[in-house]
Amino acid sequence: MSASRDRSAQIRMTETIAVLFIFFVLVLFGIIFYYKYQQVSLVEKQEELLGARAIETTLKTLFLPELICSRGEAETEDNCFDMLKLRSINETFKRYLENYYFDIFSYSRIYVQEIYPGDSTYLLYDKVKPDAVREEPTFFVVTLRDEIAGKGGELHKFGYVAVVVYS
Amino acid sequence: MEKKAQIELTFHWIYIAIAGAVILLFFFSIIVKQKQVSEERLTTEVVGIMDSILAGAGVSEKTKNFIDASGLSDYSLYFDCEAGVGEFGIEDRPARTQNSIDPVFAPRTLKSHRIIVWSLPYRLPFKVIDFLMITSSSNKYYVLGSGDFVNEFINATEGFNREYILNIKEIDVDKNLEVRVIDADGNNVPGNPIPANLQEFPDGKVSAVVFSGSNFVDFYQKEGILWKKTNLNPIRVISLPGERDAAKYAAVFAGDAKTYQCNMQKAFKRLEILSEVYGGADIDLLQIGGKLGEMNDFYTSLGSSAHADCLGNIVNYQDMNLRDSLAALKNRAAACQLEEETCVDLISTAGGIKKINENLRANCITLY
Repeated sequence: MSASRDRSAQIRMTETIAVLFIFFVLVLFGIIFYYKYQQVSLVEKQEELLGARAIETTLKTLFLPELICSRGEAETEDNCFDMLKLRSINETFKRYLENYYFDIFSYSRIYVQEIYPGDSTYLLYDKVKPDAVREEPTFFVVTLRDEIAGKGGELHKFGYVAVVVYS
Repeated sequence: MEKKAQIELTFHWIYIAIAGAVILLFFFSIIVKQKQVSEERLTTEVVGIMDSILAGAGVSEKTKNFIDASGLSDYSLYFDCEAGVGEFGIEDRPARTQNSIDPVFAPRTLKSHRIIVWSLPYRLPFKVIDFLMITSSSNKYYVLGSGDFVNEFINATEGFNREYILNIKEIDVDKNLEVRVIDADGNNVPGNPIPANLQEFPDGKVSAVVFSGSNFVDFYQKEGILWKKTNLNPIRVISLPGERDAAKYAAVFAGDAKTYQCNMQKAFKRLEILSEVYGGADIDLLQIGGKLGEMNDFYTSLGSSAHADCLGNIVNYQDMNLRDSLAALKNRAAACQLEEETCVDLISTAGGIKKINENLRANCITLY
């Protein structure tokens, strides 16, 4: 009788261990699933934030007083860059990069590509993230007003501004 | 044997109870942690979205945006600015964002189902930056006094919670959470007691902005039944005369003197940089570059006396030319960031540049 009681206790013990084992396996599954889900949603969130930053940086670039075409006291011209300011703006951006413009553009690369009549490229801002894993380029069509090329009159060129943001 | 079985059974149930409690505690702690995390995430997202809305509204000139914030009506947004760095976030929550570039003029706290965002370009004399005014439908503005600004303000702020009154006693608090009195000629607030209708209102929720003399502004706060001036000396509004004076509107919407001056400093920093964009990096040493350099090189290369007037306005005229004026503008913008009393000098310098730019408009390339 004592032997059969021992056996039944052993069976019960094994049963308990099996239940605990299955329970912890299920908990482990839950943790792994949750961890994977968090990983995926983190990547998605990072992509979403990068996209939003790309749009925001492009928007800020398009309306920069340092670049935008103005006409005295009148409202500024949308989607137009003044070539006389644009040609030397890179120096200003470089000089004030750390203590001013980094707060506006963060890690990004901004350049203007002339499409017609010429094909010049103007690098405006360049601060590449050293360990960047992702980049998001955004392009926007702009007109380039050049009063000198028009010999005192206005000459409008066409091009696009490219804003590449890094994360 | 029966006694042993009884003990075994009791022990078995105690074991189950403890194990159950531990398991429940584990899941309960996860739930509490998750609740905390998602609340923090929500407030961070709200601040992030608000930041994007403000960034969008800030760059597009003269736009008014009425933002439905019913989901945020339980939260209080706060705005602050110290040492040139602006900050906004949700009160009593860790989520906040800082900005040292964009001037934002808003009440110290904002709690409403509708937020109003308005952007106005600040020119001195060329466009320096867009000022962002933030208010809400729960913030009431009472305009008193006379002058062009009163009519202009009423016309420009269509859709805002504002009202023109003839007498300060006409103020009726109604359902508004915060009241600001705009005394356009300085005859209604200084030296007078708080009107009876406002006396029961919390001190922090009643303020006044008083314009006087040649474009000076003072900020007042309710203290019991009296108005208390919060700035030591009158603050000069740094702007050129004309319509839609962004610096004056900014004073109307700024929480207090400190945040007004702090945000204005952001504009003066940008002005210093922009004077380099127009005049070149060494314009303060009278060496021209930037846009002015291109204009100078162009007219010099033409070598014609027909453009003598253009070159005169750029560098040659002794009494007033763009090179000297931009150099002064840069130096004064830099000085103004160190000593606020010197900021007033910017007005005459900017006025001079505006005049030269108008002279250039006839036959030459303009500076801006």
